[in-house]
Amino acid sequence: MGEQKKTFVVTRFDPDRDDAPTTREYEIAVQPDWKTLDALNFIKDHVDGTLAYRWSCRMAVCGSCGMMVNGEPRLTCKDVLSQYGDTVHIAPLANFPVVRDLVIEFDGFMEKFERVKPWILRAKEKAVEEGTHRQSPEQLADFQHFSMCINCMLCYAACPVVSNEPAFLGPAAIALGHRYNLDSRDEGNGARNQVFRGDGTVFSCSYANECSEVCPKKVDPAAAVNQAKIGALLDWAKGLVLPRGGPE
Amino acid sequence: MSVPAHPQAMAPSRPGRTRTAPPQRPDQAPFGGRYRSHTLFGATGFVYLLLGLLALEAVWALGGGSASWSGFQASLASPFMIAIHAISFVSVIFVGVRFFRLFPKAQPPRLGPVRPPPAPVIIAALYAVWIGASVLFAAILAGGIL
Repeated sequence: MGEQKKTFVVTRFDPDRDDAPTTREYEIAVQPDWKTLDALNFIKDHVDGTLAYRWSCRMAVCGSCGMMVNGEPRLTCKDVLSQYGDTVHIAPLANFPVVRDLVIEFDGFMEKFERVKPWILRAKEKAVEEGTHRQSPEQLADFQHFSMCINCMLCYAACPVVSNEPAFLGPAAIALGHRYNLDSRDEGNGARNQVFRGDGTVFSCSYANECSEVCPKKVDPAAAVNQAKIGALLDWAKGLVLPRGGPE
Repeated sequence: MSVPAHPQAMAPSRPGRTRTAPPQRPDQAPFGGRYRSHTLFGATGFVYLLLGLLALEAVWALGGGSASWSGFQASLASPFMIAIHAISFVSVIFVGVRFFRLFPKAQPPRLGPVRPPPAPVIIAALYAVWIGASVLFAAILAGGIL
């Protein structure tokens, strides 16, 4: 099988000139083994050097090249072009403001990440001479798959709640916070559960499960969010019945 | 054709220096493709609202004496009521199947010292309880028990 012609309908937006995003069509010959990112790189190199998009590793690790391909959130470096017909629509990730062409604004995403305190919190740090915090393989297995997130933001582009509720922490941030709540070395459950119950609450999630469906790393953020609901609820109940309000 | 999302969706707390285009919803949301099942799940709430109102009407009729109760029972035979109950039956099965599919992974990996059983065991137990309860209620309603 040789090369095949495909038409790419790509969203374009120049904040200095355009009032709103438009689309532009590029017809190019693609190789059978190309990914969607290969086609974008070809367009950028040979047809239109002004096209803006993010990419880096080309091996589904950096999480930079997430875009909407034919309406679905995809990592374009992993997205085989041959599965599509003669026309492929490429747009920036849904639910995010667009900086330019296919580049989204992700400062809001980073703020949500920071809110869940994604690091190990200890009531009292261990002295160095006391050695490391030990963890069994069984304890690691409790959270390991939640730690595989590459921050590609596809889950946010698929989430119907993110479209409607700007305060919602969202799948990846909650999955990361929950990952630390499950970590046997961590003592920050109380602080994170307060965030989970507060503004942007985990209870906004209506369990559409689409975040898990589109996750390229099988992190299953929907599981994390719904486990976090139970954790946040139990933590609140403990605060009601235990002296001094339960764990901090 | 995409529809605008909330204008502040995923926006930073302080606007950046560059003007941005507003966020768009996923193309298929809320009625198409991958979102259809979730939207239908939400729509079943209206069915339960109708059933709740019907239950209230039943209680009201029960308090109104035997003639009132007989009238209510007769009204259940109307095509409209039969349609509502048929839709409710389909809705309950749809919600049950969806709930059973998604329930196991929502369980925390540990509940105190206890780990939940594997997902297939939880799903099998849920279906067993569902079938058992349905058989029990069917037997009660048919007069086989009590």
